[in-house]
Amino acid sequence: MKIYIDPDECTGHGRCYRLAPDLLTYDDEGYVSIRGQPIEVPKDQIEFAQEAEGTCPEGAISLIHED
Amino acid sequence: MTTASESIEATVDREVRCPVFHQDFSEEKPLGSYWALADRLREQGPLYFNSFAQGYWIFTRYDAVRDIYKNPEIFSSESITPWDPEPIYRFVPTQIDPPKHIKYRRILNPWFSPRQMDAAEPMIRSICRRLVEETAPLGRSNFVQEFALRYPTEAFLGVIGVDLAHADRFLVWVEDFFRGFGGDVEGQQGMADALQSIRQYWVDALAERRNDPAPREGDLASYLLGADYDEERPLTDEERLDMLTVLVLAGLDTTRAQLGYMFRHLAMHPEDRRRLLDEPELIPSAVEEVLRFYTMIFGDGRKVTRDLEFHGAQLRKGDMVYGLVSAANRDPRVYERANEYVIDRKKNHHFGFASGPHRCLGLHLARREMQVAVEEWLRVIPDFWLATDSVIMERGGGAMTAPLDMPLEWEPVA
Repeated sequence: MKIYIDPDECTGHGRCYRLAPDLLTYDDEGYVSIRGQPIEVPKDQIEFAQEAEGTCPEGAISLIHED
Repeated sequence: MTTASESIEATVDREVRCPVFHQDFSEEKPLGSYWALADRLREQGPLYFNSFAQGYWIFTRYDAVRDIYKNPEIFSSESITPWDPEPIYRFVPTQIDPPKHIKYRRILNPWFSPRQMDAAEPMIRSICRRLVEETAPLGRSNFVQEFALRYPTEAFLGVIGVDLAHADRFLVWVEDFFRGFGGDVEGQQGMADALQSIRQYWVDALAERRNDPAPREGDLASYLLGADYDEERPLTDEERLDMLTVLVLAGLDTTRAQLGYMFRHLAMHPEDRRRLLDEPELIPSAVEEVLRFYTMIFGDGRKVTRDLEFHGAQLRKGDMVYGLVSAANRDPRVYERANEYVIDRKKNHHFGFASGPHRCLGLHLARREMQVAVEEWLRVIPDFWLATDSVIMERGGGAMTAPLDMPLEWEPVA
């Protein structure tokens, strides 16, 4: 699974990187640091990636499932 | 509601095809009345027209509120108070629309970023600790007029580099401003006077710093004197004043209100106090849930920029709309257990800090202040309760609600 943060939608609420601190972090302005490119989610982080996706008030986070 | 009907009232000169009522949302009511009103409106229908002032649309459900926030090119922030389409103030960047908006935000974002808050936390904590230690031996506090007003004021002034000795002046101005901001006609003069006083404070502060040989470290006014708009030109004094003034108004009263609602909950729920003492890692989600369930944002206004149909309303250019944040935050269509305070809620995409480009600039500061307040208060005063059986009133929900009173008691701590 990959997680993708839409750079046009993220406004830096910071709820995702609080719930998934080992997967996501912030830049100097408070946006998610890696935006606009899919990030591989390690198996032990899947639960946190799902929580991050569900908590974003901007709908900026999508999870990409690969078969 | 004072009046509600499916028919069109005489005050509305067009066919709005939704229930119409006439209500002043600035009235003081028993605490919780505005959330209950929001719940009732949302479950009775998605759309209303309030004929109060010039008249405006009210959207009650999560999806519509989200779509207002996410479409700033349609829903302008030129006015954010739906009963006042031509306000006497201009907040920057609050009332600036994209694409200019982000250029102002980029100047301010680093001052209120999570990284900056990490750096400021020891200062914030020491202010909090001092105030808790002063309060603990008294065994009582009128929480929202004492601790919950002074603490965020001092913390905010510390973050932007203002002498904490000036805090008392800001406390008075903020109180006076918000008496008028909710739409209360009698408060209008006080609001204008308070705005003028805050502005004058910054006029003087900028004058004092203008001839400094070097910028003052950690001093926002000093920083703005050297800041550029879009790497193109220096900010104008007008812009600097508009920015500094809105920060004061946005940063102090709001946190006070949310702290008030949070500590009321903790006073009434010993099991949640106990849980946060045993599991302090839950404090951030407990704070986030306060911002959803006990939001002090009754609603958020925007001005329509073109004719369109939107969630069942025929909007015209120049109309005002009101996204009922308090209703959206408890919308059972998007939340499980929407009408419960769930201390460890994870999926919490609430609009307590708005959404879209205008999401609250100070949210990282506000959260940090609330988290630190819970930690420091519970450490010294683990048990406390509401010291009154009478009804606590809240300021009207026109702009933002706030408990007017919050008497807390505990066994005095030496």
